[in-house]
Amino acid sequence: MSVERRGDPRATIDPDVSDVRAAQRDLAAFGALYRRYLDRVYGYCFYLLGDHHDAEDATERTFLAALGAIGRYRDEGASFRSWLFRIAHNQIANALRARGRHRATALNGVSEPALGGDPAGLVGQAEESRRLRRALDTLADDRRQVIILRFVDGLSAREIGVVLGRSPGAVRVLQHRALRDLAALLA
Amino acid sequence: MTTPPTLAERLDRAVDELLGGAAPGVAAATAGLAQADRSLIDAAVSVRASLASSPVAPRFEARLGSRLSGMRASPWILRHPGRLIVTGAVGSAVGVGVTAYAVWRSARRSSGPAHRLLHR
Repeated sequence: MSVERRGDPRATIDPDVSDVRAAQRDLAAFGALYRRYLDRVYGYCFYLLGDHHDAEDATERTFLAALGAIGRYRDEGASFRSWLFRIAHNQIANALRARGRHRATALNGVSEPALGGDPAGLVGQAEESRRLRRALDTLADDRRQVIILRFVDGLSAREIGVVLGRSPGAVRVLQHRALRDLAALLA
Repeated sequence: MTTPPTLAERLDRAVDELLGGAAPGVAAATAGLAQADRSLIDAAVSVRASLASSPVAPRFEARLGSRLSGMRASPWILRHPGRLIVTGAVGSAVGVGVTAYAVWRSARRSSGPAHRLLHR
C-alpha cells in the first residue's frame, strides 16, 4: 500500500520505486515486480472477466506490455502499481470488447475462496459469500471495479483514480454508493 | 479553515483501517462514522471476507515467467548498440571474405585446363 506523506495527502511514496529503477537498468530485475503483483493483477482480471482462461490471457498481456514499457515509466504522481493496473484495466476493456458483451459468467459462479473453521460455519460463510457476489453482480460497472480494486487488490482511492481515470474524490463517492447499495441488498 | 470530511471520505478512512486489520468497531470509531452508518462498515466487512484473491495456477505462473524471461533476452542487444555494430561488421567481413575466396577458387579451377590447352 502506498504511504501518504504527512501534510500532503496527494503526494505518495511509491514502495516499488527501487524495484522499478532496478528493472529500468536491468530487465532481469522485473522478476521481483512480477512476483509481487501476479496474484493481484490476476485477481483483478478474474473478478472482472469471470473466467480463468480470459483472466490468464489478460494477465499475460498486462505483464508483457508492462515489461515492454517499463523503460518509459516515469513516476509523475502515479505509483507503479496504479500504472500496472491501468494497463490491466485496458487489457480487460479489450477482452470485453473482443467478447462483445460483459462478463462471461456472473461472479456468483466464481469458485469459493478457501475457508477455515467448523463445517456449519463453512456452509454459512459460503452462503454469505454467494449472496455478496450476487449483490456485487448487480452493481454498475464502475462501482464494481472500485470495490474489486479496493478490497481484492488493496489500492487506495488515489491509485484507483489513476486506473479508472477519475479523481480520488469521485472514487470515494463510487465506493460509498457501492457499499450503500450492497448494504441494502444484503439487509 | 478546513471543511469537515464528507461521509465518503470518512468511509474511505474506515475502509483503510479495515484493510489494515482493524476491527469494524475500531475502524468506524477512528474514521468518525456514526452508528447510523454502521451498515456501510458491515457491508465492507462482508466484501472483505467474500472476495478473497484468486490463486494463480502454478503452470500459468511458470509459463508467463519463462515468456517474460525470453522477452528480456531479446532487447539485450538493443541496450548495447556498440555490440550490434561490431557483430554486424564482423558478420559482413566474414561473408565478403568467404564469397571472395569462393570466386577466386572457382575462377582458378575453370581457367586451369584452358590455360594448359593454350600453351600446349
